[in-house]
Amino acid sequence: MAAVEVHRFAQCITCHAWSPDRSMLAFCPNNNEVHIYTLMQSKWEKLHVLQKHDQIISGIDWSARSNKIVTSSHDRNSYVWNLEGSEWVPTLVILRLNRAALCVQWSPKENKFAVGSGAKTVCICYYEQENNWWVSKLIRKRHDSSVTSVAWHPNNILLATASTDGKCRIFSTYIKVVDAKESKTVSSSDAKFGELILQLDLSSSWAFGVRWSPSGNTLAYVGHNSMIYFVDEVGPSPLAQNVAFRDLPLRDVLFLSERLVVGVGFDCNPMVFAADERGIWSFIRFLGERRITSSGPKYGSQLSGAFRTLYGQPKHGLSNDTNDHSRPQGTVHENCINCIVPLGTSGSSKVMRFSTSGLDGKVVVWDLENQADLSEYF
Amino acid sequence: MADEHVEADNAEAIIARIEHKSRKIESLLKQYRPVEALKTALEGSPPNTRDERCKSANWIMVHRAIMAIKDVDGMFSSLDPEYYDILMKYLYRGLSTGDRPTCDQCLRIHEKLTERAGLGCILRSLSDTVNTV
Repeated sequence: MAAVEVHRFAQCITCHAWSPDRSMLAFCPNNNEVHIYTLMQSKWEKLHVLQKHDQIISGIDWSARSNKIVTSSHDRNSYVWNLEGSEWVPTLVILRLNRAALCVQWSPKENKFAVGSGAKTVCICYYEQENNWWVSKLIRKRHDSSVTSVAWHPNNILLATASTDGKCRIFSTYIKVVDAKESKTVSSSDAKFGELILQLDLSSSWAFGVRWSPSGNTLAYVGHNSMIYFVDEVGPSPLAQNVAFRDLPLRDVLFLSERLVVGVGFDCNPMVFAADERGIWSFIRFLGERRITSSGPKYGSQLSGAFRTLYGQPKHGLSNDTNDHSRPQGTVHENCINCIVPLGTSGSSKVMRFSTSGLDGKVVVWDLENQADLSEYF
Repeated sequence: MADEHVEADNAEAIIARIEHKSRKIESLLKQYRPVEALKTALEGSPPNTRDERCKSANWIMVHRAIMAIKDVDGMFSSLDPEYYDILMKYLYRGLSTGDRPTCDQCLRIHEKLTERAGLGCILRSLSDTVNTV
């Protein structure tokens, strides 16, 4: 089984993140708090509750080297949390938004973070030493709708965004006081802050979940129309591929290697996509074993699966026709998965382990070590 | 103003093309080749315009072909997957008419199409608000 750990922490989880050494888990149980748990003698114990936001927390990111947590919330603010002694001390970041903040991510060098928002803007925040203050610079008037996801390119300058106007865009986030020291990245530092490098107009419905491949050569994002989009050679002449699949749409996506991608979403079961030798992307299979796409017509079970997903009811007890008694339907998650986080060892470009969380309140850790058919894509 | 003229000219050209296709479809239907007729009707659909006359003209043609299908399973054995998404959009247009025989036929095809193309196909047809049929 690819799912190695399953734990239900809450009724519903909006997002989660791991501490740098993976010993602690932070998540938002669908309210204005962040709960931090740790594993003590094979039992998850609550260590801290971070209370400062007024509304639902939409994004959490835990920086790997500086051990800081950044949160974004529907209350239009972000906090950067720093561990001082045994206390997490918050620093307010005034984003200058008039709508909810929807997602947040640290840049690879952890000297900036990006927040996507419902105000059709992206905030790039950086620390000003002299004022002891996080400054927010806005990229305005570029999006026609909410920004649902942000992803940093490994070069710490380029930022990809996905929006409910259906488009995926790539911006330069070059900030002189922060990035001038890192002047090695010559080619992209020509672009000014907020300059639109590329706009991908592939989808006509909402776009969610965008990610770069480990090298930054390929970009993937998902649409609310059961499509996933792959873009190679991001630059003046990008090569785009659309992959339509037969199941419910995805919400988030993660590259495991240059040629392997996992998508999670309304189908409650992670989907694996891979590129063959020619670079053609296609759907491979579900990670939860039982549902394989080529197993012929399953109209009844699929439609009732959809209704269960749509109405958010647990799948238990509704289908007795499965062989897998421990998990009806063969899906570990019982509701929409909306967050996927890598659990890679730092320095490696391969991700063998990752965790997912969703509206069923579970956090699931997946390990692909024993998935022989996928090993060729690593 | 200039844009409207272009749009109007474009619409005339599209109507002419649809009329040409329509004659071809009639002849295919007379030869009892309804699946060929449906493929012809779906090709180049939806018309690349916002003009409602074009969309209606195209729908009338697709509707003719859909209603001529007797053997739904047989139809799918010779209809390639590339037609699935566009066919689904027309089935929803058919269901929105509320006409009893049309809805009966569309539902019959809808069931078989969902078996083959999955819920993703339904999502794609419902979420596309730009290329409407």
